[in-house]
Amino acid sequence: MARAFLREQDHYVGLLEPIERTVLLGLMQQTRLLLSPEIEPTGDAFDDLVASMGLSLSAADQQADPVSLGERDPALDRLLPTAHRGDDQIAAEFRRLTEEGLRQRKSGNLDIALGCVEEAVGNRVVLDESQAPAFLTALTDVRLLLGERMGMRTEEDAEALHAAMDDIDDDDPLGYAMAWYDFLTWLQETLTQALMGTDLRDVVAAYDDDLDDVLDDDALDDDENGTM
Amino acid sequence: MTAATLSLAPAEQEVTSTDEVVAPDVPWVTIVWNDPVNLMTYVTWVFETYFGYARPKAEKLMMDVHVKGRAVVSNGPRESMERDAEALQGYGLWATFEKDS
Repeated sequence: MARAFLREQDHYVGLLEPIERTVLLGLMQQTRLLLSPEIEPTGDAFDDLVASMGLSLSAADQQADPVSLGERDPALDRLLPTAHRGDDQIAAEFRRLTEEGLRQRKSGNLDIALGCVEEAVGNRVVLDESQAPAFLTALTDVRLLLGERMGMRTEEDAEALHAAMDDIDDDDPLGYAMAWYDFLTWLQETLTQALMGTDLRDVVAAYDDDLDDVLDDDALDDDENGTM
Repeated sequence: MTAATLSLAPAEQEVTSTDEVVAPDVPWVTIVWNDPVNLMTYVTWVFETYFGYARPKAEKLMMDVHVKGRAVVSNGPRESMERDAEALQGYGLWATFEKDS
């Protein structure tokens, strides 16, 4: 069994079994592949920045193209979502100017995370202060991709998926995917709490006290995993 | 950015664009939308890490996103809001920017 990420002096250490590391590596690699930038990160932040700026000058990217937007992988639209709801022109321009940079940043996070898992010794995945945020964000992108592939786009989708797990066949791939999704949710929660030194229950209770009359109580009660 | 420069045009200059005329003093906002994947703790961490918001403010904004479906997390000139939206998307949050209404 895996053990939560815990702070050990100036590092964050989680214990992951070989099978858990294998699956995590595979999911991170798939996410990395989907997000591959046109110009791969060089490891030098300044070179990467210049490269990302240069790319937006290519002629093909100068025009907003609603057709190509429509043909995008839906998971890519979740990882690199539209940034303006209601004005496609503004959204397309934003995408043209930012997408390559975002792809490089996300790919860079995944590269760091992949390295940390690959370098695990005796099941210990060790993150230093700079690797931990990259690992955390990489886990988010992996979960976004997995969630999109399972059709988890709204709170209702998430509830329906979890409810469906009660009757699902043991060999159904969806059940397998959901189990790993929940595992990654747990893993990310432990790393976030290790970074923040926080207890989510206190946060919810404090907000509840402040906004008692505004709250729909159900909105909080259903949240076993503390997802949004 | 092309459209954004319109907001810097002197008032007397004739502006031909009909939809993106922005008065210099009209602020834009960055919005984070609720989604079923992002963790409540993680969203709080992002608000703290990126904006440097104190824990109570970060948690209040996170709960607004969670309960109300969306929250305005920053406001200011359009260029700043585009930068915030880009950064928050880098963290995996569903962030958008728009002119404040």
